[in-house]
Order: sequence, then C-alpha cells, then structure tokens
Amino acid sequence: MASLSSCLASMARLSLAAPARPSLLGSATSAATIPKFLLPTAAAAAATTTTTTTTTTWHQVRHASGGGGMRKRVKKKKAHKTFRTYDLSQMQQFSLCDAMRYLRAFEVGHPPAVVKYELHVKLKSTKSGPVIRDRVRLPFPVKTDTRIGVICPEDSPLMLEAQQLGAVAVGQESLFESIRQGNIPFNKLICHVDSHQALLKAGLGKILGPKGLMPSQKTKTVTSDLKATVQELIGADEFRERNGVVRIAVGQLGFTPQMLSDNIKAFMALLKEDIAKVDDNYLKELDEVVLSSTNGPGFSLNGLFPPTDDKITPEDLQSVM
Amino acid sequence: MVGVIRRLNKLTSKLVRLRIGPGAAILPNTVSRIHLEFAHKINGGHMGPRKFWRTALPRLKYWNPAIPMIVNRVREQEKPATMTLYFREPGAPVKADVPQPSSSFDGLSKAPPPAEGERIVTINMSNRRSEAILQEFLEKTGAVPVQPTPQDELELREAEEREAQGAIDRERVKREIDAAKREKRMIAQALSEAAAIKSAL
Repeated sequence: MASLSSCLASMARLSLAAPARPSLLGSATSAATIPKFLLPTAAAAAATTTTTTTTTTWHQVRHASGGGGMRKRVKKKKAHKTFRTYDLSQMQQFSLCDAMRYLRAFEVGHPPAVVKYELHVKLKSTKSGPVIRDRVRLPFPVKTDTRIGVICPEDSPLMLEAQQLGAVAVGQESLFESIRQGNIPFNKLICHVDSHQALLKAGLGKILGPKGLMPSQKTKTVTSDLKATVQELIGADEFRERNGVVRIAVGQLGFTPQMLSDNIKAFMALLKEDIAKVDDNYLKELDEVVLSSTNGPGFSLNGLFPPTDDKITPEDLQSVM
Repeated sequence: MVGVIRRLNKLTSKLVRLRIGPGAAILPNTVSRIHLEFAHKINGGHMGPRKFWRTALPRLKYWNPAIPMIVNRVREQEKPATMTLYFREPGAPVKADVPQPSSSFDGLSKAPPPAEGERIVTINMSNRRSEAILQEFLEKTGAVPVQPTPQDELELREAEEREAQGAIDRERVKREIDAAKREKRMIAQALSEAAAIKSAL
C-alpha cells in the first residue's frame, strides 16, 4: 500500500502535467477530447510549435497513431485456373449397397416419396470455359410433378395443341401479364419459335431467369415441335455443372438398389457423353461420384454394387421405409 | 467440394455413432415389422418417442435393414404415442407382399392390423424417456445388442478426441478474432475522433 504522501505526490504531478497537453492546441475545450495517443497527429494538423512536449512522448504514441504498425501489405493471390481437386487415395469409398444401407438408416421414418437420393459428380474442370448442361430421362423418374407452361401465339391451333398436351398455362400476352404479376403455376416453360420475338420483347428475363425458366435455344426450350419437347420435358431432369460439380436427384428413398443403380448408370453414361463432347482445349474429366440423400451424409462411391457385409443382401434394402 | 480429410473425419464420426450406441441391436427373425405413432411436437408427452426415433431407430435400421420401420407422425398432440411390434408366429411363412403403407408426416400411415400368421405387441411411449422406451423394446423383442469392435472403439475415441481438440481450437480462434475486431474498432473510433478534431480546428 502506498503511503498517503506518495499518493498525494502522484496526484499533484498529474494535476501539474494536465495543463501541458491542452496547451498544445491552444484551446482547453477541444483538447480535452483528444486521446493521449493521438496527440502528435492532432498537433501536427494544428501546425503549432509543439516541439517541447511531443519529443518526450513520441516513442509511446508511434504505434497507435496509425503509422507503421497497421500498414497492410497487399498480398497477391495466386489465381487458379482449375477448380481444386483432392487426392482421393485417402478417401474411404463405398459400394452402392453399403451407401444405401447407411442412408436408409439415416433417413428412417421419413416419407420415402419426399426424401431423394442425390448424386454429386465432381469434375476436373477449368473455371472458365464451357459447362456441362443437359437433360436426362432416367429409367425410373424421380420427380412426377412436372407442370409445363407454353408460350405460343394466342388463338392459334398451337394453343389448342399445347392444352391437349397437358400444359397448365398457355398463351402469349396474357401469359406474360400473369407472369409479371407473379402468377407462375408451371415449373417448366417452353416457347414456340413464332412467339420467341414477342418473348424477347416482353423483358421477362428478370423474373424467369433466376428461376431457370427462361426459354432459350440453348436449353432446347424454344421449339417448333411442341409435342416432342413436352414429351421430352415430362420425366426428364435437368442438370448442370456449377463450380465444377454436377448435382442431380437420382432416386426416391423407396427405390430398390437395382432401380437406383439403373438410374445412376443411365445418368453417368449421358454425362460421359457430354464430357466427351467438350472441346479438347478445355479440361473436363470425371473426378469423384458422391451419393447422398436429403438428410444424410455424402458417400463417395467406388463403382461397385454388392454390399461388403455378407449378412446383408441387396434384397434386404428393398423393405418399405 | 470440401477437402477429403475434413469430409472423411465428419463422415467416420457420424457412421461410428450409427453403428454403436443405444439401439444398436440385432432383432430376432420373428420380428416382421415395427410401427411407431407419435405427434409432430413434443408437448403432451411426445418428446420421448421423438427422441427414440431420432437416436435409437437409425441404429436399429442399420443393423436390421430388412425390417420395415414405419413412423407415422400425427398433428393431434393429445393422441397417445404408441409403438406396435409385429411378430411372425413360429412356422408362418415369410411373406413379402404384406400391404404396408410407408412412413408419413401427415398421419396417413395408421398401424395396420396384423396379417395372417402375425401377432402384435404394443408399447406405450407417452410421457416416457427414450431410454425407457428402448429398454422395454429390447425386452419385448429379445433383441441382441451389438458389441462394438475394437475398430469401432478406436474410431469413436478418435472422433471424440478430434471434437475435444476442435472445441479448444474454436475458443482460441474466437479469442483471436475478437481481439482483432476490438483493435479494429478502437482504431476506427480513434480515427473518427481525429477527423472530428481536425474539422473542429
């Protein structure tokens, strides 16, 4: 415990030292708000003759005054031209039945029509350049709720044809108007070539684009043959590469291992064709295939089918979920 | 996609906890199917059955993949939560075509009456903890608990160590981030004060 006299002495020193700082700036009111560590900068700004006091405090304030300590060196990041790939030798890989057994355990008690098996295919791919984008018709369709909208000239035989094909929304200007009002009863939209110009003029890209509904030649949704396109869309699933990964729902939880295997094979065959079509100047190769489900973790597949546990047969994985 | 090691660490810890733990048991082949009915929310004594579904049922399903385990969740909270066990009578043939509705979250999958050559045993799950439900379930079915293999035990221990270390690291990183944020805030405040002084002069 400090003695009374030393306490008094230190207080006296403080009270003596205090006026020295405000006097730097000449006015006591503004100086009272200046933090001690800012004094040199404030003083420099004031451009007064402050040599006597600042020289004594210079060493303490140097770091906090935003001088050398906080200078940031701008690091140049190395730009990678391809998406990152990993060494898969350390990855545990599963056969299809093993992965299904685990996933069915994770998904127990969930409605099997709601829960889907998902396939994620990682590609070795350049960041720029063409992306894989296609439609696949799986042997066992996963989604059954395709609702199609058709843009075609009003009051034409095409309109009648589209309605007969089961389109939920048909028309041109009337359909555009309902889309603008946010009334979108369809989840697939196709456009007849005769109405394509009108569609482009209508400026619906802002609404339809983010939903992936905007018809275009590229996605084969601008067509002169409505019937063929509608039939292709029903039961067909779209997939596209995003950040070097193609994702698609390949089955419902209730599917048997054989059904799921058929779907995966059909999809992979098409994907390989699409990869082969890509220009040789760009890198595009299969890297890894991962099976997951709506609520389950992802299992890297090794391409085999049978379960490794000899007490389990593929038939065991067919029971009602 | 995330790096291989990080994915694998997460996956192995999930899988080992699915293979061992409460509910890891092999049912005798007399059990033909299991049906659970409980409500969506926990009030009215439905927490135990829900926990049983979330914790024990995945392990049971993993070890008995061929046995249908049906969950029917209803909207009425006041309904009792019951589990129905279906036993095959000794000597009855194993039939694959017994009509069995699949699990439902809308109360559409009521417990079906026992088929020919089947008998049922019910367990009342209302207002009970999941451990108690599991205990009664194991007694009534005569299931044999699965013993963890040395490999499983090793994997579980490694997962626990990883998680403990992760908690320590997370705390350390949080401290560092907080310190950096505080410093940044102080500098910003000081700069704004300096600007205010400059403009006042």
